[in-house]
Amino acid sequence: MLTRDRIGALLMLVFSLFYWLHIDDIRVLPFQASSAMTGQTIPEILAVLGIGLSVLALLRPSSSEKLVLTGFQWRRAALICLLMIAYGFTVRPVGFLISTSLFLIGSIVVLGERRLWVILVASVPLVVLFWALMTQVLGVFIEPWPEFLGE
Amino acid sequence: MLEGIWSGLTTAASPINLLMVAVGCFVGTFIGMLPGLGPISAIALMIPITYGFDPATGLILMAGVYYGAIFGGSTSSILINAPGVAGTVATAFDGYPLARQGMAGKALAIAAYSSFSGGTIAAILLLIAAPSLAVVSRAFQSTDYFALMVLGLTAVAAFAGKGNVIKALLMTVVGLMLATVGSDPSMGVPRFTFGMIDLADGISFLLLAMATFALSEALMGIIRPKSDADRLREMEAQKNLGSMKVEKSEIKEMAPVIGRSSVLGFFVGVLPGAGATIASFLAYGIEQRLAGPKKGALFGKGSVRGLSAPETANNAACSGSFVPLLTLGIPGSGTTAIMLGALISYGIQPGPQLFERNPEVFWSVIISMYIGNVILLVLNLPLIPYIARVLAVPSTVLLPMIVFFSLIGVYFVSFNTFDIHLMVLFAVVAVALRLLDFPMAPMLLGFILGGMMEENLRRALSIYNDSWSFLWERGLTLSILIIAALVLFVPMIGPKITAALARRKETAGEGG
Repeated sequence: MLTRDRIGALLMLVFSLFYWLHIDDIRVLPFQASSAMTGQTIPEILAVLGIGLSVLALLRPSSSEKLVLTGFQWRRAALICLLMIAYGFTVRPVGFLISTSLFLIGSIVVLGERRLWVILVASVPLVVLFWALMTQVLGVFIEPWPEFLGE
Repeated sequence: MLEGIWSGLTTAASPINLLMVAVGCFVGTFIGMLPGLGPISAIALMIPITYGFDPATGLILMAGVYYGAIFGGSTSSILINAPGVAGTVATAFDGYPLARQGMAGKALAIAAYSSFSGGTIAAILLLIAAPSLAVVSRAFQSTDYFALMVLGLTAVAAFAGKGNVIKALLMTVVGLMLATVGSDPSMGVPRFTFGMIDLADGISFLLLAMATFALSEALMGIIRPKSDADRLREMEAQKNLGSMKVEKSEIKEMAPVIGRSSVLGFFVGVLPGAGATIASFLAYGIEQRLAGPKKGALFGKGSVRGLSAPETANNAACSGSFVPLLTLGIPGSGTTAIMLGALISYGIQPGPQLFERNPEVFWSVIISMYIGNVILLVLNLPLIPYIARVLAVPSTVLLPMIVFFSLIGVYFVSFNTFDIHLMVLFAVVAVALRLLDFPMAPMLLGFILGGMMEENLRRALSIYNDSWSFLWERGLTLSILIIAALVLFVPMIGPKITAALARRKETAGEGG
């Protein structure tokens, strides 16, 4: 039976096998060939441990509980993840102030907040304050505006 | 030693460091109160800010955050029965019933006095134990350190609880695997970088900690939202905290509990992997038994002893967990692991050398812990009614803030947008693993110890001419490895042996 523990063990097994398959990509330098420890040694030990423990977890799961995925807010979490990815792509070209404000506004709206004053107060002033604190007090330079305005 | 203590005292008592302890305690309390966010997340969120500080100041701030987070967790346990951290779950057993009886103020005061006393006694024990262990550890070689790290990792897995040992071990191995990403420390050969320059320096520990704790905890809060209405209703019910005065008879009742729980908590904290959670449950259980049938029956219904014991023990365990970190450089818990990561990034290697080379860091951290306890008592306790308002901030605003601070905390260190994307990936995987009931702390511990373990193993092999014989030839190494094996296997096999013996006895009894 595919229990919660077994699904976890299966994922761990796949990860360990993937890790093991890439050990050969680690170059062993010629003078290391006969030494007891090369760059591959620890990964080899870990891959064996990972595969062994995953198989053990597969064969002897600690509980028979099934994985329940209903009743969760998947859509909201997925949208937040997409916003984070978009933030990663925009923080440089669009600048800190605009991209971060948009990210916060987007996240607050995605989580269900509809009061305009809450959305605005919790985003734009906070971002400006944070930017001022970092640049003026802590001396960390952060490009505030889009790249083309900074040129 | 006295010179060291004096230099630590002057460092800890400097205005900037006093300010940092106060800020740390305050911010820690604030974050620790938020359900789901524990000290690991609180410290992780602080690390980027501390990069500009000198190591002693940074570490003092983080120690303050640690204490504050535990105190904040206790507050939300007592006020709304929502422990922010596992270490304060036992606090809710009697703290919440007391609050329901209209004595929230008293419950908070008892928790604060107990924490303060536990922290004070533990700080004194730390003052004695840490230098002694640091002196002993000077005799340790790379082989022993390697064995100690194996012990630390197995202990964390062994204390993971029934049915979770294999999962915790697997997560430890995953952490060790992630630590191998990047350039091989001795030859500079790339490992698991898949040709990406961004991975050449390996995965940043801050990124991993932030993604798997702060960010994934925020995502869990989004996936499984707890009703703000329930939280607000509880807050409304506790609006009037009542008097914070503790009666003389109650102090008399608490005093022996505090004494016992402090010592117990400290020593449990010193053990790798055990930590505040086990200490608090153990103290609660012991005190319930010692209370006798009449007073023991009050446990769970608002007992003063039942609240005082776990609160004392969890604070004492926090101090105890610093012993292996400061003296051996080996963290015994997820929280001290993240502190070790921060220390390494400051260019400081904890261990016996820390005691010799940076005595001001060593001692100022120990002394600042005591100052932190005082601040929690005199500053945070009266401010609790105001700090508790953070619980009223809607999660629609709070969760995006946590996400923002997590992302920006990592981005501001590297200014590499690849890190933001890698964080999202790790956070999503961490959420999946949390849903599958895999613990995160062993992974973080494995990740932080991974590089050090490999380095010590390499050094040991070079000392022993490429022979693995040090594993059984050097007595100290072998002893530590045997302890590691016992720690791991006795809880697994022990109950089975006991059951088999009982069965045999039963059969013999029937036969006879």
